[in-house]
Amino acid sequence: MAGIYRKVNRPVTMTLWERLYVMEVVRGVLITARHFFRNLVGVTIAYVTGKPSERRIMTIYYPEELPPVPEAYRGRPVLVRGADGKEKCVACGLCEVACPPKCISIVGAMREDGTRYPDTYTLNGAVCIFCGLCEEACPEEAIVMSYDYQNLCEYDRSLMRYDKEALLIPEEKLAKRLEYIRRRMYNKCNY
Amino acid sequence: MMKDNRMDLHTEPFVLNMGPSHPATHGTVRFLLKMDGERILHCETEIGYLHRGFEKHCENGTWTQVFPYTDRLNYNSAIQNNVAYALAAEKLLGITGKMPERCTAIRTIMCELARLADHYTGLGASMLELGALTAFLYFVEARELVWDLIESVCGARLTSNYVRIGGLSTDLPEGFAAHTKQVFATNRVFWTEFDKLLTKNRIFLDRMRDTGALSREDSIAFGFTGPLLRAAGVEYDVRKAHPYLMYDQVDFDVPVGFAGDNFDRYLVRMEEINQSIRIVEQVLAKLPSGPINVDDPAVRNPSKEAVKSRMESMIFHFKNTIEGIQIPAGEVYVPTEGSNGEVGFYLVSVGGGKPWKCRVRPPCFALTQAVGEMVKGGFLSDIIPTFDMVNLIGGECDR
Amino acid sequence: MFDYTYLPEPSLVPYLIEMMAKIMFIFTMNVGVFAPVLGWVERKQSALMQDRIGANRADVFGFTLFGLVHIATDALKLLVKEDFIPRGADRTLHYLAPFIALVPALIAFAVIPFGGQYDLWGHKANMVIADLDVGILYVFAVASLATYGSVIAGWASNNNWSLLGGIRVGAQMLSYEVAMGLTLVGVFMVYGSLRLTDIGVAQENFFHWGIFLQPVGFILFITCALAENKRTPFDVPEAESELVAGYFTEYSGLKFAMFWMAEFLEMVTISAVLVALFFGGWQIPFVTHAGLAGFFGFLGPNGAQVATMLVHVGVFWMKVLVWIFILMLIRWSLPRFRYDQLMNLGWKIILPLALANILVTGAIMLLVK
Repeated sequence: MAGIYRKVNRPVTMTLWERLYVMEVVRGVLITARHFFRNLVGVTIAYVTGKPSERRIMTIYYPEELPPVPEAYRGRPVLVRGADGKEKCVACGLCEVACPPKCISIVGAMREDGTRYPDTYTLNGAVCIFCGLCEEACPEEAIVMSYDYQNLCEYDRSLMRYDKEALLIPEEKLAKRLEYIRRRMYNKCNY
Repeated sequence: MMKDNRMDLHTEPFVLNMGPSHPATHGTVRFLLKMDGERILHCETEIGYLHRGFEKHCENGTWTQVFPYTDRLNYNSAIQNNVAYALAAEKLLGITGKMPERCTAIRTIMCELARLADHYTGLGASMLELGALTAFLYFVEARELVWDLIESVCGARLTSNYVRIGGLSTDLPEGFAAHTKQVFATNRVFWTEFDKLLTKNRIFLDRMRDTGALSREDSIAFGFTGPLLRAAGVEYDVRKAHPYLMYDQVDFDVPVGFAGDNFDRYLVRMEEINQSIRIVEQVLAKLPSGPINVDDPAVRNPSKEAVKSRMESMIFHFKNTIEGIQIPAGEVYVPTEGSNGEVGFYLVSVGGGKPWKCRVRPPCFALTQAVGEMVKGGFLSDIIPTFDMVNLIGGECDR
Repeated sequence: MFDYTYLPEPSLVPYLIEMMAKIMFIFTMNVGVFAPVLGWVERKQSALMQDRIGANRADVFGFTLFGLVHIATDALKLLVKEDFIPRGADRTLHYLAPFIALVPALIAFAVIPFGGQYDLWGHKANMVIADLDVGILYVFAVASLATYGSVIAGWASNNNWSLLGGIRVGAQMLSYEVAMGLTLVGVFMVYGSLRLTDIGVAQENFFHWGIFLQPVGFILFITCALAENKRTPFDVPEAESELVAGYFTEYSGLKFAMFWMAEFLEMVTISAVLVALFFGGWQIPFVTHAGLAGFFGFLGPNGAQVATMLVHVGVFWMKVLVWIFILMLIRWSLPRFRYDQLMNLGWKIILPLALANILVTGAIMLLVK
């Protein structure tokens, strides 16, 4: 396959302009000085008027400001609590098998009316790699990756083994994520 | 007289340990240096401080569970590893010709975005080591914007886990093209500023010109690929030599140097940034619509409507997740052009749902073995630009 | 019998008060204001150059004061840190080195005039701590002493990396001192005197400012001065990424603070020397001393002198601040030299250029006369 291989633009020896240190140094300093004054003006205006000017400063002032999270974001995995107050999980075990580091462990049980449910559902938050394969594997939309990324750390690893109660989140709170996965991931038009 | 005196003095070379934790050895590498004052007599490289047993891990899970691990190989350009593995697995399955066009287009876009992120990081970190701290932060800003793009597509900036065997995990979000255009406008400004700060600056030129040079023949003998090989003057780019994805349908140049020193490597990488932006814009302009997954339930999980309504789809979903995709026995190696060089996966299958052997060819392994050769006879300060331009990614070299 | 003209005049008390006031003022400005505030300026200025905010989280009862409180927190942290001496290091030298580095930086300011001569209540006050005949040579002499501090620090740490840093620092500072002295010879020739006060007075005429009379000397001097100060692009001995921290790797706590203070104070000294020699010192362009005193005539004769003094001192410090800002800009924009290229620059480029500058200046002076 013919390709275009192009030689880089490089003079064989240094040109005179490059040899004189001073010119390029001045040019470089002018660039950074321009950034400095632009940011200074931006910061002063923001401080005086109280609202952020057109974003010259890249820093997001966490934790007072939170970074905007896209809808595809994979945060902490949580279990969905259905409208009737019970978890939607039927303890099929697909998420347990799909998880690469094997952080989920389920013990299933059967209710009187014949439906299955997880008797214990343990997700080890310290082992989870936030890959989202459990969300893809689940046929019931019972485990989703929420948009949580804060306050996930503990001082003691045993505190990070989340049981079912710690993981259950009501369906209304996860509406955005559920809508996203229905629209984008499981949609028929993907195939 | 002085020479006689000197020969009588007992001198020994000065041993310096540029150990695994040193600000300049990013990626945990150890250099044991024997020096004569400031000149390096011998440099011994020691890698393996980040070995995590990637290949053994892969043998424990199914074919799909390898994807999150490939992210952590070259963690600067994670999606390229995903794509390389997926291409190898698809070739073994024999479905390479049946991949939907939209899928190859999106894979091309994400590969090039990952290449952008990697070059920004590599060049930026090099400038940090050389002392130009502001230039580093400008490229880090540019990288942040590219990571925002990647995050909007797959949900994570670095551990993307985006590609699947037989397709992708999700489609592009709405407004992706507009977002990309905005990001590229800003990044072009950053590129220009970086260029103006450094490329003609004599202080920078003195550091990079004629340092760490390796001739054409030596580069080929060491097994170089990627920007370092092209900087030495060899015209080889996997995207042009063995085209994959959409690279034969887009127009792009491949920069080639001629002196093989650090300055050429820097120029090659800078130009590759421009060319990557060009590729992404071209692919976005003619992005085909259609499905993103191959329509074979044995390979790619069926859609959830099908799973909830049809029994066969449910069976395939369960079998794919529990037993893994059944890939027929055989072995395959597919080379792709990563940002550091040729990344390829050598897969061996014995017919089940788990890989028998999943070996990755790390590009910077071949590059690191030559560092000792490149810095011999030079100064201690020359290790810094040379090693930075090698852009060793510990995760990839040590796996 | 003996010629006691070098002794102070008989009215000793005002003279002593003036001397103490000047010393206190300079010491406060340097150690109290500049050294800590420069730390803040460096962080904030570099942050604004790099599109970020910089450190501003430390607060006192909720007031962050744009990050100025960080000065206090940094000082407190450095004071209470464990002060260790590495095993095998030479204890005495390890202890001594920061002092040897700091003291010259503190006393170098003694000859730099930050104002002119004022007639305060019959007493002539000269705004310089020591109006020596040798003027700028005192600064050079004292700055060379600072080399010892760094080299001793590099040697005494029992660490190969520090040793490399110490070797580099010794060679760098020696080379650039030679060049620095020669770059300023042109200035002395043009103004005809080594005393900084004379040079300052001669710059009352705006077109006699040093920058117009000696542009090449200015560029050469600023390069040499940056190299003396071990700031980027000449921070090879301290090269943060190669040598971890160079000759002060093994220092922590207050000794580390002393090295840092020495570096900042040298920067202030360099800026002050630059301003005094090339940018008019305390003079405002196109405004003469008498003119300014006349402008403040409504305050009475003494009041006018005091006002003029305040204005001149303020102008001087403002110029110094501007130059510190520019030096910081240079520090954060440029990559650093390789060691041998730095020596190359000092001996093979700057030294011949300085000599050529002297020749050309001499030739022009002959022609003009």
